[in-house]
Amino acid sequence: MEFLTLNKIDVTYDKKKTVLKGLNLEVKEGELVSLLGPSGCGKTTTLRVIAGFIEPSGGEFILDGRNYTKVPVHKRNFGIVFQSYALFPHLNVYDNVAFGLKLQKLKKAEIKRKVEDMLEICGLSEFADRFPGQMSGGQRQRVALARAMVIQPKLLLLDEPLSNLDAKLRINMRVEIKRLQKKFGITMIFVTHDQEECFSISDKVAVMNNGLIEQYDTPENIYLKPKTEFVARFIGFNNFIPLKKQSGGIFITERKELIQVEQETKLEEGLGTIRPDDILLADETVSENVMNATVGVRTFLGRSYQYEVDSTAGKLVVNAPIGKVYEPGDRVRVQLPKNKIIIVRKSM
Amino acid sequence: MKKQLPYLLLMPGSILLIVFLILPLIKVLFPTIYEGTFTVKNYREFFQDAYFMKILIRTLKIAVLCTVISMFLGVPTAYFISRCNKKKRGLLLALTIFPLLTNSVIRSFAWINILGRNGIVNTLLMNAGIIEKPLTLLYTEFSILVGSIYLFLPLMIITVAGTMENIENDLMEAAESLGASRLSAFIKIVLPMSIPGIIVGNILVFTGTLTAYTTPQLLGGNSNLVLATFIYQRAMSLGDWTGAGVVAAVMIAATMVVLRIFNALAAKIDERGEKYA
Repeated sequence: MEFLTLNKIDVTYDKKKTVLKGLNLEVKEGELVSLLGPSGCGKTTTLRVIAGFIEPSGGEFILDGRNYTKVPVHKRNFGIVFQSYALFPHLNVYDNVAFGLKLQKLKKAEIKRKVEDMLEICGLSEFADRFPGQMSGGQRQRVALARAMVIQPKLLLLDEPLSNLDAKLRINMRVEIKRLQKKFGITMIFVTHDQEECFSISDKVAVMNNGLIEQYDTPENIYLKPKTEFVARFIGFNNFIPLKKQSGGIFITERKELIQVEQETKLEEGLGTIRPDDILLADETVSENVMNATVGVRTFLGRSYQYEVDSTAGKLVVNAPIGKVYEPGDRVRVQLPKNKIIIVRKSM
Repeated sequence: MKKQLPYLLLMPGSILLIVFLILPLIKVLFPTIYEGTFTVKNYREFFQDAYFMKILIRTLKIAVLCTVISMFLGVPTAYFISRCNKKKRGLLLALTIFPLLTNSVIRSFAWINILGRNGIVNTLLMNAGIIEKPLTLLYTEFSILVGSIYLFLPLMIITVAGTMENIENDLMEAAESLGASRLSAFIKIVLPMSIPGIIVGNILVFTGTLTAYTTPQLLGGNSNLVLATFIYQRAMSLGDWTGAGVVAAVMIAATMVVLRIFNALAAKIDERGEKYA
């Protein structure tokens, strides 16, 4: 039995624009699940459906065995951390964090104890009297987290919480979030468009495109075994070769070249994809998966040179070590190691 | 030259104010405290005269009531307007301001038609059999109050709506997610954050009502004088410019006292201690 289930959720704006179409998602208790995707893919909409700010036009949302589809926001008891933090500017840090507890009509002493504990955990004790306007981005972020966690929510929703922080702080904060998640064993849904952030923090990742989840998997599997062209592109694959299965591990390109692929797949037809780092510029001795190519544009990347080469299987992007430099127009041999090629489904 | 530029730029406005406001004010107020020697006699007489005091209290009463009622009517309306989408908001604000585009004499005449002995209200109530003979609604404090609210409510609405528009929807959503119903989110978040606008609105309505002339003149009649109509009567009908000056001074003082009270209130409500007026 899953802890959280989104079952065929549909969301339509203005009766015309469909944002989510039959979205399904299952989350286990205590998991941190990220919704990853480019802007406009429906990840924030999904989060807002779970939060209760959007009522889906179809489908249901079950949490811990209870149907939450029509429960009003203020009766859900979910913590939400907003991209803008949404701290109450007229209240100091203590009162911001105490806001939810006061509404629960707890005793004053109990509120005080809980708020002080949470401020302590989030490293905010010395800031209790400050107003949000007097704090830095990272501190505000921690207040937003503390405010959402102190009500002991069934679910914590985070909407791009780190996107307003600078790079260094972002890394600190995501470690912090992970720490708090482990400490309280709280189930979290995390929306982001930053794949590094998402991979480092999540137990599972749902890559979204066009209102649908393209792949729902562990970060390792998303990174190493993308299933669709969209997912592969999103995480940095940029070589795609149309292939058809011929037999076993042998695929054939449009120009009738044979390519060996180690990965097993049920797809009869798809795109063979490989990272620029994994393509080798080969010498005469290698013969497996080798193609002739002409060097096009060269770009210096620091650790390596990036070449755009025109191969018999189409244009490829190759990252090669800086030892040997090729000039545009040079004839080279490129090798696609068979264990690095992944067959993915073509995306619409 | 560079340092003097700001002062130079201040000149036109300052000259205008000094020539047309400060000097005339001194000319009006000086005789009230100087008759050969400095004296407070005129003011002592004013505050000892029951008739004068009645007018002062009536004026303050109407101004306070008008402000409070405008606030209670205006704040929810402003909230509603501020939560509409941009297109609808523009339309509603235009509708709010619409009465302000009409001359206040004409607007007061409208109320004479509504509240008069044979006006709409009395006719309706009599036809419905609720009352036997017409109520005296016109030329009372009540009719001044109604007219003033009608006149100044739009000011309250647009000022408060302006402040509320700047409150991010995220804050409301955050409050809701922490367990606040819409109403309690309004009371705990929107209201305190709108205090600056509400204070400014209160000041505009209060000073407006306190100094209004046309509305009390037309809807109050001669038996319900307020300070403004009283000044006019003193100066123009009785030629008593010193008496009118005393009333004017009292009016200025009353306005300043009320402004200070609002300020103190604002500082107390908002712990951040910012000043709004």
